[in-house]
Amino acid sequence: MSINYLRRLPCVSLRFCIALAGMLFLPTTGVADEFIQKDGISSLRINGFLSQGYIKTNKNNFFGKSDGKGSLDFRELGLVASLRPVAKLQLSGQLLWRRAGQSSRRGISIDFGFLDYSIIDVPAGEFGIRLGRTKNPLGFYNDTRDVPFARPSIILPQSIYFERTRNLALASDGAQLYGESRTDWGNLTVQFGTVFPQVNDRDTEVSILGANRPGDLKTKLSYIGRVSYERPDGRFRFAVSGAQVNAGYDPGVNDFLDSGALEFAPLILSAQYNAERWSITSEYALRAFRLRDFGIQAFEQKFTGESGYLQGTYRFAPKWEVMLRYDLLFTDRTDRRGKEFAAATGRPAHTRFAKDLTVGMRWNVTPAIMLATEYHRINGTGWLSSMDNTDISRVGQHWNMFSFQASYRF
Amino acid sequence: MTGDRLFHSLRVVFLTGFIFFCGLALAGEPARVVRPVTHPGVSTNHLSRNLLRSVFGMRLRTWKDGPPIQVFVLPDDAPIHNVFAKQQLHVFPYQLRATWDRLTFTGTGQSPITVQSEDEMYALVTSTPGAIGYLSEARIDENVRVIHVD
Repeated sequence: MSINYLRRLPCVSLRFCIALAGMLFLPTTGVADEFIQKDGISSLRINGFLSQGYIKTNKNNFFGKSDGKGSLDFRELGLVASLRPVAKLQLSGQLLWRRAGQSSRRGISIDFGFLDYSIIDVPAGEFGIRLGRTKNPLGFYNDTRDVPFARPSIILPQSIYFERTRNLALASDGAQLYGESRTDWGNLTVQFGTVFPQVNDRDTEVSILGANRPGDLKTKLSYIGRVSYERPDGRFRFAVSGAQVNAGYDPGVNDFLDSGALEFAPLILSAQYNAERWSITSEYALRAFRLRDFGIQAFEQKFTGESGYLQGTYRFAPKWEVMLRYDLLFTDRTDRRGKEFAAATGRPAHTRFAKDLTVGMRWNVTPAIMLATEYHRINGTGWLSSMDNTDISRVGQHWNMFSFQASYRF
Repeated sequence: MTGDRLFHSLRVVFLTGFIFFCGLALAGEPARVVRPVTHPGVSTNHLSRNLLRSVFGMRLRTWKDGPPIQVFVLPDDAPIHNVFAKQQLHVFPYQLRATWDRLTFTGTGQSPITVQSEDEMYALVTSTPGAIGYLSEARIDENVRVIHVD
């Protein structure tokens, strides 16, 4: 497994370099922006981004083998295209290539791809439907979580935007209704989807079932929604989002697990205040998690996790900003220190919580180039990936992480 | 790094920020007026500030008589863009950028078209049906229609 992984690396890096070289030759203002037709402006837009990160930890691994010399195994490359042939209709798609240690999908994936039909679009508001694969509207950042320029930091607050179950949270296939009401007292936006989440991958299975099991997780009809309100000037933004994610398990050959079910219901409250030089953002989440009917006592689980963060951003010069954040995660809110879990399973208590103090700085060198760095002091390993940290005995409770990222967009 | 050293580093960072902030406040902004302008064929003369924000926020996509709205902006770091955002829209350029990025990278909308200079803005707004952009007052003439914000 690890040998295969090493062999793959040069080939992956080469592919990345070729794509990077290709993208650098593109004009910075957007390919289609300059593409002006005789009868007006083309409605085709192509944008994209790429980033290279460096992560170093004093112990534990995050996004690759970050312990020791550090890891360069964090790269993101996205290409998004949208076409609006008539005002009421938009076709959009994004291809994503991402590496983030062991726990990220290899190769190119279709991040989203859907048809958006706006049934009503008038000054007072709009109403429409999206069909296809849409990003899951959870919290302020989930639907743009892989875009470095749209994140407040290199690594999103992990208590809410877990890397481990990212595929489950990322996007889902189905239909989404949306509506927006625009008045002088503010804009109210509602999105509601009946969808099938993406669960059929190794990372999600390891994260939910503890290991890569002989069988497979199967997606089931799920529901997701977000209601957001913002003042007309965007000073205050509030959102409530939630989902009821359902999945089943299809046992494999010689599987000791029965065909169990997973029910996951996150509820996220989000608030933000924006001033000219500073912004304050806070989000709070409750995550009800249940596994049942696997036929084994250890897999009968029902608990509610709790997370939240408070984040301040200060734009101290036109192209510069600093960020300070405190982020808290409790895997089970009735066992915040993980003591009952440790007593019951013999695994370390610190795998059930994480308290992360982060300070970061960002430099928008040009509108197209961004450099960012940040430093985390972390107590607890609640959001560490077991795929990057296979030996639990070598995982330490108190650790810190330094990261640097260069990003380019067009 | 110990807690003390972390605290010290933070203090240095915030002090540096404070000094920058003071410098900028003294420098001030160029006193000028930037107005929203459209292609002369657009039949709208007045827009409420909220509707103007919906247009530049890329949420309202058609003029009231039907034709699609084509939005042009200067780069995020252009001084005229900054003046327009604050003076006419009452929002900050970073908020517009965040809105456009959310639309672009979730596929739920499109970003405006970025032009590199006021000359280019003038040329595109006067030649593109349904176009809206902004110009400083000195650059406005009879070839564009000025939108009054109320």
